[in-house]
Amino acid sequence: MSNVAPANPLEMLAYNLSMMIEDNQIVYVGTGLPMVGGMLAKKTHAKNITLVFESGGQDPLEGCDVPWSVGCPFTYRKSPLTMEMSISFGQCALGYVDIAFQGGAQFDMYGNVNTSVIGSYENLKSILPGSGGGNDIGSLTEKSVLVGLQLPERFPERVDFLTTPGYLEGGDSREKAGLYGGPIAVVTQVGIYDFEPESKRMRIKALNPGMTVEIAQMCTGFELLVPEEIHMVAPPPDEVLEILRTVVDPRGVFTKMPGM
Amino acid sequence: MAHLYTSDEQIDRLVDFKGAREYHLTKDRRKKDKRMPLKEAIAEFVHDGDIFAETGFSYVRSPIQAYFEIVRQQKKNLTGIGSPMSNCSYFMARGCMKAIHLSYIGVEMRGNDKNFARIIKNKEAEILSFWSHGTMAQGFKAAQLGAPFIASKQLLGTDMIKQNPYVKVIDNPVGIDHDPVCLIPALFPDVCIIHVQQADRFGNAVISGPAINDIALAAACRRVIITAERIVPEMTIRDNGNASIPFMYVDAVVELPYGAYPGCCPGHYFWNREWWEFLIRIGTVTYDNMIDFTDRWIMNTKDQYDFIDKAGGMAVIDKARRLMEAAQGTADDTAISFDYQEVIPKWD
Repeated sequence: MSNVAPANPLEMLAYNLSMMIEDNQIVYVGTGLPMVGGMLAKKTHAKNITLVFESGGQDPLEGCDVPWSVGCPFTYRKSPLTMEMSISFGQCALGYVDIAFQGGAQFDMYGNVNTSVIGSYENLKSILPGSGGGNDIGSLTEKSVLVGLQLPERFPERVDFLTTPGYLEGGDSREKAGLYGGPIAVVTQVGIYDFEPESKRMRIKALNPGMTVEIAQMCTGFELLVPEEIHMVAPPPDEVLEILRTVVDPRGVFTKMPGM
Repeated sequence: MAHLYTSDEQIDRLVDFKGAREYHLTKDRRKKDKRMPLKEAIAEFVHDGDIFAETGFSYVRSPIQAYFEIVRQQKKNLTGIGSPMSNCSYFMARGCMKAIHLSYIGVEMRGNDKNFARIIKNKEAEILSFWSHGTMAQGFKAAQLGAPFIASKQLLGTDMIKQNPYVKVIDNPVGIDHDPVCLIPALFPDVCIIHVQQADRFGNAVISGPAINDIALAAACRRVIITAERIVPEMTIRDNGNASIPFMYVDAVVELPYGAYPGCCPGHYFWNREWWEFLIRIGTVTYDNMIDFTDRWIMNTKDQYDFIDKAGGMAVIDKARRLMEAAQGTADDTAISFDYQEVIPKWD
C-alpha cells in the first residue's frame, strides 16, 4: 500500500495537463495551473521541452519557486533572450509553438472561450479581466488545451461573449474564419474531453478516477457527446505526485485545495 | 456605440497617423539635458484628456511611482490603453480615468479586480474597444514601423470585433491564400511613461528583461517620460550600444530609484507580493476599501521613499533585492526562501 496521499482534484488537473505535452515540444505557458502542468511535464516525461511565455520569456532555466505571474523573473531566468510581446505571439502564428493552454470563465460546446463579459456589454452582469493573450494563443497555436473548473454555468451551450475562438459554430467554421490550429482537448476536475472531428462538438475522452458520465453531464450546460467506450484516467504514479508536491509546487500555491 | 465620457475627437486621435507625425515633427530636436523632478515631468507632459498608455507588464518594470504622482496631481479625463493595463483600476477609482481600450485588467491567478468590474458595471467609466494583448501590441508595433496598419490572424471570429470600432476583417488582397485577416490600425496614444534600468540625461534608455510593448510605445506616443533606476554617463550606453529607446523620442528624464516598486524591476527588486494581493483581494472589494487603500498608499504618501518606509523600510527593500537576485540566478538561491504570508481574506 502506498503511503503517498492520492491526488486531489487540482493535482489531478495539473497531472492531466502535463500529460498533454510530448517531449521536445515548444510549449506556450499561461499563468496558474498551466504553468504547473508545463513544469511538471518538464520534470517527468518531457524533459526536453522548451517553455515560452507571453511576457516574452524564452527557455528559462529552472528556478527555485513557481512563477508568481507570467511576467515573473522565473519565466526569463537566464534566458538567452526575451522577446517583445508582439513578437512572442508571432512565434505561435509562424508555427514555432506546438501546444498552449487557455483558461476562461466560460467554455461552450465548440470550445469557444469567454474571458470578457457575463451577460452582454450593453446589459452587463459582470465584466471579466479581458482577453489578455488568450485570444492570440487560441487563434494561432497549432494545438490548444482549454483548462478550467467544470460547472454547468461555466460550460454553457453558447458563451455569452466569444473572446477566444474554439470551433466557432462547429464544422469547418473555424477554418473558414481564417484561423489556424484549434483546441484539441478540455481538461477539468472531472476529466478530459476532445472534439468530435466532423461536428467539432465537445466529447468525453477520459474521466478522472471516481467520475462517471452522469457526473460529467451534471457539470455541463449542454449535451456532451459520449463515445461507446469510456476510458478512465489512471491515477498519477507516486513518484510524479512526489515531484509535483516537493519540486514543482512545494508551497501548494496552485495545487493545494483551498481551505485544506 | 454612443459614449458617455469620450468625444469623437478622443476616439479618432488614437489612430490619427498624420496627427501623430505632425506632433513628432514639432518636438525639440536638440540633444539636451532633459532631467527634471517627477512632479514637474508629470505636470508638464501628462495632460487632462490624454490617451494614456500603460507600459511594462502591469507590475513588471512599470512606472508605478509615476502613476501614483498622476493620481496625486488629480489629472482628469484620461483614456487608458495598454497590454496589459492593470494599473488603470486605481486611475478609475480616483476619478482620473473615465474610459479605457480594454486588453486585460487583473492580477492573473491572484484574483479578478472587483473595483474595475464595479466601475464599469456602474458606468462610472466606459470601455471604448475590446482587444487581445497581441492585437493591441500589433497596433503599437505598426506605429513604430511607420505602417498605417497590420493584417492580423488574431481577433477573427470573435465578439471583440463587434465591440471594437477600429478593426476590420477583409479577405487578404495580397499573398496566395486570400483568407480572412483582421486589419489592426497603428495606435498612437498621447503619452506614456517608461521605467527603465538605465538612461542617460538625454533620454537614451536601456531596458533589461522583457520590453513588452515599450520600444514600440516610445515611438508611437506623442510624449514620452523616462523614469530610470540610474542615470548613467552617455558613454556607458555608447560603450554597450544597448539602448532600445533613442533620445529623440523622449521629453523628460526622471531619476527615480524604486520607481517600479511595489512591482518588480528586473536586475533590481522583486515584487511586494503581499501588497498586490492586499490590493486585489481586499482593496478592490468595496468602494470604501479602494479609497482607504489608495488614500494610504498614494494620496497620503509623498514619494517612493515614503512608500517604502510605510511598507517596512530597509528590511523590506533589501529582501526584495535579494529575492530578485535569487530569481534571476545572480545570487546563490539555495539559502533564499520565497516563502511569504499570502494575503487570504477570511470572507473569500
